[in-house]
Amino acid sequence: MISQQLNDLITRIGPDTAAGAVHRKYWQPAALTDELPDAVAGEPPMLPVNLLGERLVLIRDAAGALSLATREAAADEPPAHHPARADIKLVAGGPTYPVVEKNGICFAYLGGGDAPAFPNFDCFRAPESHVFAFKGLWQCNWLQALEIGIDPGHASFLHRFLQDEDPSDGYGKQFRDKAANTDMPITQVLREYPRPEIKVEETDFGLKITALRHMDGDLTHVRVTNQIFPSAICIPMSREMIITQWHVPIDDENCYWYTMFTSFQNPVDKAVMRAQRLKEHSLPTYAPLKNRANNYHYDPAEQKSLTYTGMGLDINVHDQWAVEGMGPIQDRTREHLGRGDAAIIRYRRMLRKAIKELETGQAERLPMQDRQATSQLVGPLSNDAITGSEDWLAASLAADQERRSAAPWDAHI
Amino acid sequence: MTHSPQPVTITSSWVRIASVEALQGERPVIPVTAFGQALVLFRDEEGELGLIGRYCPHRGADLCYGRHENNGLRCPFHGWHFDRSGQCTEQPAEPEDSKMYKMIRLPSFTVVERDGAIYAQDAGALPAAT
Repeated sequence: MISQQLNDLITRIGPDTAAGAVHRKYWQPAALTDELPDAVAGEPPMLPVNLLGERLVLIRDAAGALSLATREAAADEPPAHHPARADIKLVAGGPTYPVVEKNGICFAYLGGGDAPAFPNFDCFRAPESHVFAFKGLWQCNWLQALEIGIDPGHASFLHRFLQDEDPSDGYGKQFRDKAANTDMPITQVLREYPRPEIKVEETDFGLKITALRHMDGDLTHVRVTNQIFPSAICIPMSREMIITQWHVPIDDENCYWYTMFTSFQNPVDKAVMRAQRLKEHSLPTYAPLKNRANNYHYDPAEQKSLTYTGMGLDINVHDQWAVEGMGPIQDRTREHLGRGDAAIIRYRRMLRKAIKELETGQAERLPMQDRQATSQLVGPLSNDAITGSEDWLAASLAADQERRSAAPWDAHI
Repeated sequence: MTHSPQPVTITSSWVRIASVEALQGERPVIPVTAFGQALVLFRDEEGELGLIGRYCPHRGADLCYGRHENNGLRCPFHGWHFDRSGQCTEQPAEPEDSKMYKMIRLPSFTVVERDGAIYAQDAGALPAAT
């Protein structure tokens, strides 16, 4: 339980807020490259962007360079408003921001002064053929969206399948593969071992979160996920792919998830991945077709027999229901965190420390602000492993090493 | 606590919150707003009614989508289970030795059925015994 004042401090991200200032010290996903329209009749392509409480436009100039400019907007404009090209009016003399495109996402830096370096994470260093990017709208504050991603316990419940699918049908989907080097579907491991032991360590980029599920036969399932400061996570999706996902504030009560699916060995089948996700979203806002207005297609009969939520097999919908159901900004004055929330507690401490450091003029003390050191950051390790050894750390590293050495790109850590 | 075995005279201190019919479907769980609070009304496996806080006291998930099982409601987020008195009875994601659930209780209200309607009373508003 925290005070209302503290909840406001860590959730609100507008231009003159303390947490907003922290976000602005980092490159933020502003749009998918896929979203940028073609030039029309010699006019430069323009794409509306709603980011951190600001109303912006992504522009590609004649030389191909990207930038963000400020656009005029009515005060009552909807959060994910997407005006037509003809209705976009730039604010003369308004703020403009630098933009860099990386493997399908246009990242913007809104912080003023020198932008930080990009870390050399897998999603950035893998070739374009091995990364697929997509986004989706969640109608809630960014922090509750992030917190579900650093909560290793929820997958045993929220994403529980009462029957397992055939893992060979699971390409491009989360939690459908076999667990590590076993014939057990990962859904079965999650269902049968719901009380993970959770270890959280601070790293140069954020947090390393290890969930240990102690199984029958002296086996241990080791799942390593990461928090990348301030609003991203990096988690395993299958033996072949990892997910790097940002929870980017649109305003205080809405956010986009942006995901870079990164494959180690084989190129990503982007046509399949895109089709799977376009089927669940409506463009241009990328609003999910299952949402609060239609009760997420909740089916009580399905909840009894097939899924824990009764909301279908797409785990993104489960997460969306959980975080949107908390309300526009989760009321943390009523929460009761348990031991399973260790990473959430640690993350909030990091965010409060960063807020304090910015307020006392020590921006260089925030994670990943040193250009030289940040550009050397690789990984992070995101992996599922099962081992009979007590040395689960070594087993986790070895399992990760195996797929990294099979990658045709430099995936060393 | 939720279902009075004694005849109760419905006076102005009781609030009509639903028709009995509203709980007669496959899934007797519905959202209710009363006493200025967002609540969830359900019938448990003993046939008794519960009127408890709508949002899970863990991280605020919406119990109107809860799993209707084990004589109560279970939050789909982490499996916390509540009985009709609002008492948390299980936290299946917490370590085996955790007793935290004993300390967790949602607000709850007294409920009665009369002439096809369901009425609730704020326990705090009961007149003092004379």
